[in-house]
Amino acid sequence: MIEIIGLTKRYGTRTAVDGLTFTVRPGQVTGFLGPNGAGKSTTMRAILGLDRPDAGGVTVDGREYAGLSRPMREVGALLDARAVHPRRTARNHLLCLAQTNGISAARVDEVLALVGLESVARRRAGGFSLGMGQRLGIAVALLGDPKVLLFDEPVNGLDPEGIKWIRELMRGLAAEGRTVLVSSHLMSEMAQTADHLVVIGRGRLIADIGVTEFVRQGQNILVRADQPERLAGRLTEAGATVTPGADGALIVTGLEAGDVGRAALDTGVVLTELTPQRSLEQAYMDLTRDSVEFQTSAA
Amino acid sequence: MSAAFADTVRSEWTKFRTIPANIPTLLSAVVLMVGAGALTANGAAESFRAGRAPFDATYISMYGGFLFAQLTVGALGVLTVTHEYATGLIRTSATVVPRRGRLLAAKVVTYGVIALAMGLVSSFGAYTLGQTVIAAGGAPAASLSEPGVLRAVVGMGLIWALVGLVGVALGMLIRATMAATTVLVAVNFIIPVIGPRLLPDAVGDWVTTYWPISAGLQITTTVQNAGRVAPWTGLGVMAGFTVVLLAAAFALFRARDT
Repeated sequence: MIEIIGLTKRYGTRTAVDGLTFTVRPGQVTGFLGPNGAGKSTTMRAILGLDRPDAGGVTVDGREYAGLSRPMREVGALLDARAVHPRRTARNHLLCLAQTNGISAARVDEVLALVGLESVARRRAGGFSLGMGQRLGIAVALLGDPKVLLFDEPVNGLDPEGIKWIRELMRGLAAEGRTVLVSSHLMSEMAQTADHLVVIGRGRLIADIGVTEFVRQGQNILVRADQPERLAGRLTEAGATVTPGADGALIVTGLEAGDVGRAALDTGVVLTELTPQRSLEQAYMDLTRDSVEFQTSAA
Repeated sequence: MSAAFADTVRSEWTKFRTIPANIPTLLSAVVLMVGAGALTANGAAESFRAGRAPFDATYISMYGGFLFAQLTVGALGVLTVTHEYATGLIRTSATVVPRRGRLLAAKVVTYGVIALAMGLVSSFGAYTLGQTVIAAGGAPAASLSEPGVLRAVVGMGLIWALVGLVGVALGMLIRATMAATTVLVAVNFIIPVIGPRLLPDAVGDWVTTYWPISAGLQITTTVQNAGRVAPWTGLGVMAGFTVVLLAAAFALFRARDT
């Protein structure tokens, strides 16, 4: 479990994270979303004690990270997969880091096999492709078999096979009861991986919500019918929010398209149009629109 | 030494030896020191025969090579820190060892011991070869049983360790390889070796006497030069300078975001 309470971090006059509070729970993948520059990496660095907060704080399983003597056994992190000496071999890179926490060379070989880098273990990391580098970074995180894992943008630049591999790995780690926090700026990626979402923008919390709930809230349905008032009444009874659209259309939120169809059947209303309007991506963009740092004028 | 600190030192040693160029570079410094030392010893033996005294056979066999070898030793010290900043590895290192003091102390101990060991190999090598060359050149060679000779040769090993640690400290203070190496060359070569010839006499004399590396090298002499500090006092000046730089490096590393 990771608890972030009132975290604030400034770099000079720029406030990167502003009074952020949220909790990351074990047994699920928590997606950490936000546009570029929203403060995701800063938050992750603060969790790991790399950046000192100006206010507030972070605890991992009730303790401050900076006080841990052998942190790899409790928390594993992938921050920047390119952070390797290009002339050191993959195995030696892992060995240097393992030794700091008294982790054996046998475990290094085990982890190399786990991430599928056995055959290139003795090759220089500088010659690795983006995907191999990412696997090496993940191997570092897994070395200590930790209960808490942080992945900063793990799928950046990966091919579809690599993305699938990382997604399954993260889901597997969460299924074993571990705490998994993974940052991304891509909603579509998180929708497929995460169980829970923490969305931030300009360093502030925008949403802390289950993925299913977010998906439901995110869907608008455009409905046209021969008797719109009658259908609207029925939909409202069923728990939907109905707002009038252009030309007598109804904008329905809080229900699936199928529920709307069923309601129409029950009331004997003829549907002339039933269009789910917004993608998840759109819902996310609507949510973070005001907090994007650099915006193109014509969206 | 606590188990956790021993683990961190072991990791730093692995970091050092697994960068392919490090050990060959270090060995080249040893060869440079012994080889260049033999050349200066030969030159010194010739000028002795030409009648120019005084003659410090121990010092002259080591100094000529040290002048160049020390740049390599210091630069490798710089690199033990700056290569981690250049690659971003420092973040990973500080994540797996969140206690910054422990991380930097492990670097200091590891590189300090490496530089000391190679320094002793170099100083004994340069001394031994140098004495053979000097004797062959018809000048009075020194022997380890003479007063101050063993102190001078071991002292040269200590100077290597201190030069290496000045490199580590500058690397941590400056973080960029080129800038830190430039400062290192200025501090240990340009100011003490070229400076006195360019500076006003009073300042030049002060540099010759009290500049850390100039004072420190008095430990490697067996003939006390008039107007210079005593051997152990000189080593103390150099050690004190190194400690001040390291203290600043620790304070900054602890205070800074990584």
